[in-house]
Amino acid sequence: MASLTLKNIKKIYPFSSDEQKKAKKKKDDEPEKKQVNLQITDEGVVAVQEFSLDIADKEFIVLVGPSGCGKSTTLRMIAGLEDISGGELYIGDKLVNDVAPKDRDIAMVFQNYALYPHMTVYENLAFALKLRRIPKDEIDIKVREAATVLDIMQYLDRKPKALSGGQRQRVAIGRYIVREPQVMLMDEPLSNLDAKLRNQMRAEIIKLRNTIDTTFIYVTHDQTEAMTLGDRIVIMKDGFIQQIGTPQVVFNHPYNIFVATFIGTPQMNLFENAELLKNNGRYSVKLGDYTVELSEDKQAALSAKNVAAQPVTLGVRPEHISLSAGGIDAKVDVTEMMGSSVHLHVDAFGQDVILIVSTLNMTQKELDSLNHGTDVRFDFPGNVCHLFSKETGINLEA
Amino acid sequence: MKGKKKKFNISTLWQYYAMLVPGVVLTFIFSYIPLYGVIIAFEKYNVGMGFNSPWVGLENFRYLFSQPTFTRTIWNTLFISVWKLALGIIVPVTIAVLLNEMRSDKLKRFYQTLIYIPNFLSWIIMAGVLMDILSSTGAINTILAKLGMGTVNFLGDAKVFPWTMIVSDVWKGFGYGTIVYLAALLGIDPSLYESAMLDGATRWQQIKNITIPLLMPTIILMTVLSLGSVLNAGFDQVYNLYSPAVWETGDIIDTYVYRLGIQQAQYSVGAAVGLFKSLVSAIMVVTSYRLADKLAGYRIL
Repeated sequence: MASLTLKNIKKIYPFSSDEQKKAKKKKDDEPEKKQVNLQITDEGVVAVQEFSLDIADKEFIVLVGPSGCGKSTTLRMIAGLEDISGGELYIGDKLVNDVAPKDRDIAMVFQNYALYPHMTVYENLAFALKLRRIPKDEIDIKVREAATVLDIMQYLDRKPKALSGGQRQRVAIGRYIVREPQVMLMDEPLSNLDAKLRNQMRAEIIKLRNTIDTTFIYVTHDQTEAMTLGDRIVIMKDGFIQQIGTPQVVFNHPYNIFVATFIGTPQMNLFENAELLKNNGRYSVKLGDYTVELSEDKQAALSAKNVAAQPVTLGVRPEHISLSAGGIDAKVDVTEMMGSSVHLHVDAFGQDVILIVSTLNMTQKELDSLNHGTDVRFDFPGNVCHLFSKETGINLEA
Repeated sequence: MKGKKKKFNISTLWQYYAMLVPGVVLTFIFSYIPLYGVIIAFEKYNVGMGFNSPWVGLENFRYLFSQPTFTRTIWNTLFISVWKLALGIIVPVTIAVLLNEMRSDKLKRFYQTLIYIPNFLSWIIMAGVLMDILSSTGAINTILAKLGMGTVNFLGDAKVFPWTMIVSDVWKGFGYGTIVYLAALLGIDPSLYESAMLDGATRWQQIKNITIPLLMPTIILMTVLSLGSVLNAGFDQVYNLYSPAVWETGDIIDTYVYRLGIQQAQYSVGAAVGLFKSLVSAIMVVTSYRLADKLAGYRIL
């Protein structure tokens, strides 16, 4: 159990000499192309930069972002598996930049579990303790305790090959429970499981978290996992932190367009043709012919920053849009029946807009009427509008 | 393949069988027809009468097994080849593990190439090189003399000769084995080492607890497969380096057959030795294949 402090952490993968020559030649020959997701400087490829974060003792932090955003690299730097190119990493009060992984008292669950294939489950669980020369009977007690917690007692004699994905996952977690590390790192531990098992294991990780008191840092690209597991979420893109906050804050007050569209499924609708109006100090937003006055908290936030009237990118989550008698004209494109709700893709202003319509109070006839080509109208209240600057993509309230 | 057998259908598969024909024909002509010559092992062969020489049954074998030189060659063959086999595993595995631990990829590639080069030289050339550096005035003896250890007659002393064969063969061949084991090492999931590192394992503990156990199936496979050739102690090598002075310990089955059959024109006895060796080898190949399947899950079909 320990707090963690990351101060301005940076990771640059230097070029090998061959690559450097190639890069140099390229520079001379042609204008440099920017590669997707990667920032390339003279020093090398920048994977993570300006990463600063304070993690409290026993907090559950989730790093989330698309692939190549630097989340796994950050985790591996914390574990000591990657060198830190710049900045400071503290575990507790101790600066650990140059401390060997084994001396950091950190455990890590790998995406592919990294179970030792030639050892039985028991030996896998006992391995770290054996290396520490802990007496055999003590190891035995700890292994059996962990196996009981994770419900893998009956598999202790098996080799990992003979276990299912979920069972392997438990063994991988068990390997770290026995060690009682200060910090537990998890690198996409559920991504190799099928959807059903993933949901089940997610619930188990929440339970596990209540049983073992330790600091968790969890990496995933799945925003549902991030939302359900994290005390706080760190959203990353291209090596930079985009926003840090509780799931609620990140969902309700996304800092920029990237966060807004990354968190939440189906993703937030964005309207490029919206306009923020200011009349007598009151803010409203205009989309086509539809105008809605913003809620009081948004009025206050915008007034405090003295935001001027301007064209904006308007974001509205599908669950916050409803079919209505008035409002914006649209044509139904596709209907996705989800059971308790319908995901309605409609065409408005020549773009695809998604609405989530609850089927709870709808008759079959009403449902059937939502066919391709049907004319509908939708609207949304003023408290669910997210306004982003056209220039920077940053939330105007932030 | 287990499960349902595919129905043989010549109308759709004939092209594949047609491609097989040249190989089968050549194998038959060059490997099966000459087998007829085996009958001379059971005859008192006479060049003038050819295959119609008088039939003597197992007389040649009886004569052979009563010869002390023959039992001696079997023992020499086994001694040399078993040691070659053992060191031919230990040395490449060790070198592969060491190379695998190297951080510099450039150096690693350099060493890999360097140790692989002797593998491409024929024993004729190697014999010349060895005779030169192992002679009484050669490089090795000069160094030994300078160190005050006296000189060693590597190729002329019957006690030393088998070891000269073993060590020089391992030296020539370990580059190949090293590459096989390096390839196997590449197949080990790197996250296992990372995991072990976080578990607190030192470099040596990682080698002991992860590398070696995970290399074991490959080691077993290579060992078992080489069991089939345990009676081949290396004709090219021994023939080019031995002399009557070291026959006592250096004469192996193949050189014995050659001397008997070709040089002394005792064709029947030579053929009998050759047949005996082939039979034992065939049994070893089958056994080792079964073992490989059982121990390492290796199967050709």
